[in-house]
Amino acid sequence: MDNTVYSFKKSIIEVANLTKTYSTGASELEVLKDISFSIQQGEAVCLLGASGAGKSTLLQIIGTLDRPTSGSVVFQGEDVFALNDENLAQFRNKKMGFVFQFHHLIQEMTALENIMLPALIAGDDPEESKAEALKWLDFMGLGERAEHFPPQLSGGELQRVAIARALIKKPEVLLADEPTGNLDSENSQKIQDLFFELRNKLGLTLVVVTHDMAFANKFPRVFKVKDGRFA
Amino acid sequence: MRLNFWIAYRLLFSRQILFGGSAPLSFLGLVLGVAALVASMAVMSGYVETLKLAMTDVTSDLQVVRRGKLVEDWATFSKKIKEQEPRIESMMRFGYAEAVMARKGQVSGVLFQGVEEAELAKVLNITKRVKHGQLQLGPDQIAIGIGLSKKYNVVVGEKIYLVVPLATPFDSSGFKRQSKEFVVTAVIDFGKNDWNERLVIGNLKSLQQLTEIGDRYTGAFIKLKDRETANEAAINLEAKLGTGFSVMTWYDVNRNIFEAVVIERAVIFFVVLLIVIVAAFNISSTLYVFIRQKYSDIAILKTLGLSQKKIRLIFLSQGLIVGTLGTIIGVIIGYDLCFAFMYLQDHYALISGSVYKIDKIYTDIRFIDLFAICAATQLICLVATYFPAYKGSQLEVVEGLKNG
Repeated sequence: MDNTVYSFKKSIIEVANLTKTYSTGASELEVLKDISFSIQQGEAVCLLGASGAGKSTLLQIIGTLDRPTSGSVVFQGEDVFALNDENLAQFRNKKMGFVFQFHHLIQEMTALENIMLPALIAGDDPEESKAEALKWLDFMGLGERAEHFPPQLSGGELQRVAIARALIKKPEVLLADEPTGNLDSENSQKIQDLFFELRNKLGLTLVVVTHDMAFANKFPRVFKVKDGRFA
Repeated sequence: MRLNFWIAYRLLFSRQILFGGSAPLSFLGLVLGVAALVASMAVMSGYVETLKLAMTDVTSDLQVVRRGKLVEDWATFSKKIKEQEPRIESMMRFGYAEAVMARKGQVSGVLFQGVEEAELAKVLNITKRVKHGQLQLGPDQIAIGIGLSKKYNVVVGEKIYLVVPLATPFDSSGFKRQSKEFVVTAVIDFGKNDWNERLVIGNLKSLQQLTEIGDRYTGAFIKLKDRETANEAAINLEAKLGTGFSVMTWYDVNRNIFEAVVIERAVIFFVVLLIVIVAAFNISSTLYVFIRQKYSDIAILKTLGLSQKKIRLIFLSQGLIVGTLGTIIGVIIGYDLCFAFMYLQDHYALISGSVYKIDKIYTDIRFIDLFAICAATQLICLVATYFPAYKGSQLEVVEGLKNG
């Protein structure tokens, strides 16, 4: 496994004074408490913590899937939450790739179509998108599975399709929330290796949430999240 | 836009939707509503068209009669009419007389319409309505309605008497009986029930002899180059000929019926449209359930870069797809219902002539009706799907991902 420590010159994500509070009836639940940090371009960062620590919420806010109660997320100098819905959607499409614990593939679409989706959403030519998606399927070792629907694929295959979908638009940041949490140890190992292989190959900035200490140990930089703060 | 439809199509035509839940039933409701609209509008239009055809076939596009008097000089009269109205294609004299048909001890009141045999084919379209025999209207020949034929069992070749009462000061009763024997040459379906049971058509000369009116006649039947201009031609002729003449179109003769049909068409359209509205609300509730089931997909589509507006467009596209498919299938079934209606009319006495004036209604599917049905259905489906679509687009991504 590649554990090379890179030298980084500029930050890609800057998180400042981030808080997230959920209202639960009369009481309020503070999930993230005044978190600040920055991530450099090409860096591999792990958010490690127990269940309910707030790491997934943090990842979702970095990925603009959720909004903070206060604080800011600046991506390459731009405050992303100042963008309107349309621009924020485009930002996600172009700059971010997402992988979740559950693959979240659309059941009614084939593996190929699922991978093509981000490119089609971006307005790319369907034929070019298809060719690109086929390349990714081949890279993932799923060339024969292009026309298969999600229920016809195994857990490891599903997650590889989800990773291909996240990467087809060549995002600058890949965000993964417990990507191996639903896999057996063999597939989990393969997916972990794949993440680092992709990072090296594509120069991706990698932000991964996990509670798996072994996986976290492979990252050069680990933030331990506990009770909404970095421990 | 293409992407919206593609995603909408892929999500909509899933096994889960096609073979499960209430979606197929909701869709069926929409299809049946559209089919009912198409069939009911076709029958209403067909009723008007059937009646209009019967009117113009038997009494021409326009009738010009002199108020309270018979017309005398045909050459002058016809020249005057032709000069005033350039839309006229052909015209002929006609006469009417109330008479009694007598045969083998049976009598029946009839309306004797006398026409010029030589001009008949140029102005009226009766020949195609002949059911039995051959239309010949010599001095002693006559054609009768099919209802009269059935009622009194009169067949082609039989002889009947027409009896006309004429006023005379030389009889103590004040009238005298004038009768003439005719041979029935044809039995005709005039298209209107009361005509079939009452109208007989013969030679104008025979009518003039029978009623002792000399060379006079009731008025003129006029065929126009374009039947649809009848109203304008009637207004023009009435203005030019003055108050001494009355000009009637096929519409004027049955004004009450046609006016009632216009109102009934509108009423039936909106009543049957209620079926479509109810079906659309079923679709709306189905779509709510569908969106609830698709929270995870909506969340991932947003994650991959679809904005709220585009998510809304996807579900509106589903409304458009459902509306379009429902309309197309509904129109096809509506057409089939029309054919079934025609078939049943041919084999069973569905229509009571005494009630509806005609024995058989041809169905007429008009483009304007189809356009109104399609537009109304699409609009209703779009409105019905807008609210679930809006609800779906407002979904928080994080909530959707939790539902996955």
